[in-house]
Amino acid sequence: MEGASYQRFPTVKIRELKDDYCKFELHSTDVSLANALRRVMIAEVPTVAIDLVEIEVNSSVLNDEFIAHRLGLIPLTSDRAMSMRFSRDCDACDGDGQCEFCSVEFHLRAKCINDQTLDVTSKDLYSSDHTVVPVDFSDSGSGIENSEQRKGIGKDHAKWSPAATVTFMYEPDIHINEDMMDTLTLEEKQGWVDSSPTKVFDIDAASQQVVIVDPEAYAYDDEVIKKAEAMGKPGLVEIYAKEDSFIFTVESTGAIKASQLVLNAIDILKQKLDAVRLSEDTVEADEQFGELGAHMRGG
Amino acid sequence: MGLKQEHDGPDANKQQEFDIDKQFLAAPVKSAVDKFQLLPEFLKVRGLVKQHLDSFNYFVRTQIRKIVRANDLITSKVDPTVYLRYKEVWIGKPSTSIEGAVIELTPHNCRLSDLTYAAPIYVNIEYSNGQKTPPVAKKNVFIGQMPIMLRSCCCVLHKKDEAELARLGECPLDPGGYFIIKGTEKVILIQEQLSKNRIIIDTDKKGCIQASVMSSTEATKSKTVIKMEKEKIYLYLNQFGTKVPIMAVMKAMGMESDQEVVQMVGRDPRYSALLLPSIEDCASNAVYTQQQALEFLDKKVKKPQYFSASFDKEGKAMGILRDVFVANVPVRQNNFRPKCIYVAVMLRRMMEAILNKDAMDDKDYVGNKRLELSGQLLSLLFEDLFKTMNEELKKTVDGTLEKPSRSSQFDFSRYVKGDSITHGLERTLSTGNWDVKRFKMHRKGMTQVVARLSFIGTLGHMTKISPQFEKSRKVSGPRALQPSQWGMLCPCDTPEGEACGLVKNLALMTHVTTDEEEGPIISLCYCLGVEDLALLSGEELHTQDSYLILLNGLILGKHRRPQRFANAMRKLRRAGKVGEFVSVFVNEKQRCVYIASDGGRVCRPLVIADKGVSRIKEHHMKELLDGVRNFHDFLREGLIEYLDVNEENNALVALYEGEATSETTHVEIEPFTILGVCAGLIPFPHHNQSPRNTYQCAMGKQAMGNIAYNQLRRMDTLIYLLVYPQRPLLTTRTIELVGYDKLGAGQNATVAVMSFSGYDIEDAIVMNKSSLDRGFGRCIVMKKMSAINQKYENTTSDRIIRPQRVGPDAERMQILDDDGLAAPGEIIRPHDIYINRQSPVATRGAMVSPLTLTDKDYKPSIQTYKGPEGETAVVDRVALFSDKSFNLNVKFIIRHTRRPEVGDKFSSRHGQKGVCGTIIQQEDFPFSERGICPDLIMNPHGFPSRMTVGKMIELLGSKAGVSNGKFHYGSAFGEPSGHADRVEAISDTLVKHGFSYSGKDFLYSGITGSPLQAYIFMGPIYYQKLKHMVLDKMHARGSGPRVMITRQPTEGRSRNGGLRVGEMERDCLIAYGASMLIYERLMISSDPFEVQVCRKCGLLGYYNHKLKISICSTCKNGENVSTLKLPYACKLLFQELQSMNIVPRLKLTEA
Repeated sequence: MEGASYQRFPTVKIRELKDDYCKFELHSTDVSLANALRRVMIAEVPTVAIDLVEIEVNSSVLNDEFIAHRLGLIPLTSDRAMSMRFSRDCDACDGDGQCEFCSVEFHLRAKCINDQTLDVTSKDLYSSDHTVVPVDFSDSGSGIENSEQRKGIGKDHAKWSPAATVTFMYEPDIHINEDMMDTLTLEEKQGWVDSSPTKVFDIDAASQQVVIVDPEAYAYDDEVIKKAEAMGKPGLVEIYAKEDSFIFTVESTGAIKASQLVLNAIDILKQKLDAVRLSEDTVEADEQFGELGAHMRGG
Repeated sequence: MGLKQEHDGPDANKQQEFDIDKQFLAAPVKSAVDKFQLLPEFLKVRGLVKQHLDSFNYFVRTQIRKIVRANDLITSKVDPTVYLRYKEVWIGKPSTSIEGAVIELTPHNCRLSDLTYAAPIYVNIEYSNGQKTPPVAKKNVFIGQMPIMLRSCCCVLHKKDEAELARLGECPLDPGGYFIIKGTEKVILIQEQLSKNRIIIDTDKKGCIQASVMSSTEATKSKTVIKMEKEKIYLYLNQFGTKVPIMAVMKAMGMESDQEVVQMVGRDPRYSALLLPSIEDCASNAVYTQQQALEFLDKKVKKPQYFSASFDKEGKAMGILRDVFVANVPVRQNNFRPKCIYVAVMLRRMMEAILNKDAMDDKDYVGNKRLELSGQLLSLLFEDLFKTMNEELKKTVDGTLEKPSRSSQFDFSRYVKGDSITHGLERTLSTGNWDVKRFKMHRKGMTQVVARLSFIGTLGHMTKISPQFEKSRKVSGPRALQPSQWGMLCPCDTPEGEACGLVKNLALMTHVTTDEEEGPIISLCYCLGVEDLALLSGEELHTQDSYLILLNGLILGKHRRPQRFANAMRKLRRAGKVGEFVSVFVNEKQRCVYIASDGGRVCRPLVIADKGVSRIKEHHMKELLDGVRNFHDFLREGLIEYLDVNEENNALVALYEGEATSETTHVEIEPFTILGVCAGLIPFPHHNQSPRNTYQCAMGKQAMGNIAYNQLRRMDTLIYLLVYPQRPLLTTRTIELVGYDKLGAGQNATVAVMSFSGYDIEDAIVMNKSSLDRGFGRCIVMKKMSAINQKYENTTSDRIIRPQRVGPDAERMQILDDDGLAAPGEIIRPHDIYINRQSPVATRGAMVSPLTLTDKDYKPSIQTYKGPEGETAVVDRVALFSDKSFNLNVKFIIRHTRRPEVGDKFSSRHGQKGVCGTIIQQEDFPFSERGICPDLIMNPHGFPSRMTVGKMIELLGSKAGVSNGKFHYGSAFGEPSGHADRVEAISDTLVKHGFSYSGKDFLYSGITGSPLQAYIFMGPIYYQKLKHMVLDKMHARGSGPRVMITRQPTEGRSRNGGLRVGEMERDCLIAYGASMLIYERLMISSDPFEVQVCRKCGLLGYYNHKLKISICSTCKNGENVSTLKLPYACKLLFQELQSMNIVPRLKLTEA
């Protein structure tokens, strides 16, 4: 183990990039890194969300806890979140979360004056900081609330998770045994193609050849392989997962841009690794990392 | 429930959404008419608790009049010209009078302010105050308050639409059918009983064959048993001290000739042979004539407890035979012939059973049962109370008239008071103890508080049938599923344990009949060619070519063409000339035609078919859909009829129209109506192992969700609500019919069936923390606390005062408003004061003006909140009202929102309950490449032994449902009629949306990121959160309170009790030899006590602290006293034994 370097240089290829959606390929790395990235995106990229709600008057049909819970789940633009402080370790305000470094204050005032039901949406929230506003995206009664939002991470509560969906898949590697395929009739080919619930294969109208239209649509469901076996043609197709390339799909809640989410995740991952490296041979490492620390020092 | 969905059904899933219409148009005309639409129509006219409402309506409209008419005259014993006659009786609007002012009541006001929802009973009377004055008529005389059943014809909610109901604070989905007594909702449970006035042939404990009749008329109730014992036939009747030879009874009734008896029973020599020993026995007793027989019987009569004049006149036996012996057969002008014939028929049936065991009756057969509903029970009670009131009225009037001088003018009507009826009804309904002296009826637990745990629980409670036997009896017969239950009683819904099979529930379409007038039916029967009994000789009774005709157990006569007679009766019924619930049943084995019009029979509607062709055609259903036609029209036009259990035996019912043959007489409306309300919630129940459905029926009642639309305005003692309830993705028709889709009790959770983390063994489930963060399984628990501002006899009263803002109590009074009551919205913690009340020091004695009292005259009587530590409950609402005695009452509702935690109980709709085993972060949860992550993980070991295939189909169906944005159906037995989707169709939908047909997904481990070894069966399943939560149950204690008398720790969580090392645990420790541990647990940690024992006399002494010596009080010295430790309970035992003159002596030896 000594001396041998396993360093690899992962590459990223971006396929699609929108504000709240991002699809990219991650090559030449292994699953531990890909999964670490995914986990960090879900749980550890900080955002801001409403955490402390002070209710002055609430005469609506919805009770206080209910409103507080729902306010908490509103995604807020959190571009500034990386640089903000966690209110628990903010030294400007002794951690009570009342200062500009760790909190933003919102006000919600809504009053229903007629018989109709009043829709109170995130548009009714007034922020004390223009950089933190509800993401653009509904009761009768009146309520006045002061809510305070704080920085947090998805690990503590799902409301701080900036990710709506983060998932990855192995890139499939599909090999059709063309010789064997040629022995099939057109109906058989069609039957085989249709056996896949997702549209991976198709029959080329001109050449009547089976072609792979979308390898990534393949859901690793083995349906085509089973079908081939049922047709008495085992080995008609071989599908492997490429162990070192991943296709990531990231959807953001809108709190931060999907691309930023990935970048932030990488930053945080780096910080975490730095923390491990820095405490490599300090005594505290044992306390901080427990068994992991001992393990890293070759224990 | 659009028709469109019906028609496109399973095949449409293959089609694209946009050409559904094309598909619908191109679909071949269905040969079988879809009759499902009848069901909602049926429920619209009937409601789910129509049996209760009908019964109550019948009582207030008809029965109460009959009762009053039967007891309408009160004549004074002192002056016979003084009388009072009731003319008319009716029930007014629900109202109450408070200090003379009449206040109209609404049900919700009654619930909130602990009132009884009752309406006044008014009578018109005519009375005479004596010879000199002419009779006076008086109208609208109040005689009492009648509790009103909600939604009955007397209720303010009757025929109100949704908006009006909302204005009255009522939930439109609430079924009604219960009463509100002192603010609590009470249902009178449906009581199951053996049918009255019918001959039942069965065996007694010894195996002797007997024929019994439970006679019940307005005047008397009696049980007559005729039993064959040692080849002789005897009569058992309570009024006779011993058994009586039946021939003597026959002779006493005037059948002096043995030949006539034999002829009446039937001339078959086998019957005569069976009868011979009895005849010989009679002869050996020298009973030949009626006179001799009566004298013989007189000797056997029990000494009457109270003397009756009529009995004395003509001999006691005669009176008993006339009035008690088979009392349902009337004796007019001492004509005993009908009674003789009845007895002969009883004998004949008995002998048939002796010769052929098949002729025995089955007591568990539903046709031999009657359901007693609230109306019948109330009428029994009312009659008793009314009679008592009249007797008391008579007594007071007689007392007044007997007084030599009266100060004021005598007025009969002034003595009519309604208190006894009001209080009698209210007390009986609130305790549930029915005590009717006349019928020696003492039944307990007839009413129950309506279960408001979940909406379905409420509905299920209304259809619950309480059994006739005590639950302790270990018999299997009555518990078994009866084939005759089909369509009438739910085969699934029964509790587990001791009441299993005894407590039943009504099926969806069951109706329970009410009494119907017999007179018109009797005359109709005679018109249709029934030969009158009076004109027949004994010989003619059982001729080969004729059938006996019985109406409600009474023999009318015979008919030579029974089938033709039955058909004519049925035709008349279908034409509406006879009541729709009259049943005609030809029993070929007994050669009888039974006509029944009595109340309490269970029946259900069926479509009539002529030679296998349904009478309902496509155009009828279209008219129904267009709203031109309703259920009543179907009934009136003879397309549909009600069949009771007996008449079903004459019918051949096809399940579907297509299965009908030429012999088919009826077609089922929908097969899933054999299930009740609770079982109707289960999707694909016909794919489950049967006990699972039973378990779900019990659990559905414990599920949290929405209770009613007015749930937040209710002030119940305990309410469990779900914060985000959903309607199930996989619905059934029953769900839509009962409104479960509007008041759901559960959430659709994405379930992955896989093993995860090891915290999922033994049915535990693993939950996703992020799902819980987002509100899955979040619930609200609301509890009520109440306080009374009491008034005292010396005119003083409690007072609620402004809280102290400074001082020692200020901290505990933080949540109080200036009015001294806890403010809504405040967080309430244990030991917080929620009402700052003070009571006067002196509450008795001389009158004191409250104004003269100073602060010194009051002592605090605060109430503090005793909730669990660490729970942040909030004061939700505070309500003030004044009760019956005008005391100010305050109700506080405490709300607590809870998120699921480890140990909370969840269940799917397939009897698969499990506790939350662990909660795991979302990033550790498995995910699919679409990014789907389950909400909870269930262990696959839950499936093989439970065989809940329905749950798997639910998962598939829901998954297809979320994929194509449509609710899928899973009604019981619904596949052929399109009310349940087939698995093939569901799989096709799944494949169309890119899922595997099997519902399995390719998942990646959230911990490592690598693919999981197997495909995981994953999709949404409707999960219910059950009311059992750890927070309410967890309990531990170090040291704490002890019981005063034994000084041992208290018992139970509510008293902060200790955890007991019981006998079995002790045995284990003994076996192990852990003596020090036993010593520590059983004594040191329990009730150690130091005693002084005299070594000489062995009795307990005491320690004198002044002299610092131990003294034996028996020996009067301290020479031989030892000190030792023993459990206080042991010392207590010694002293208790001593107190009863037993001397326990301790013998001490050196250790």
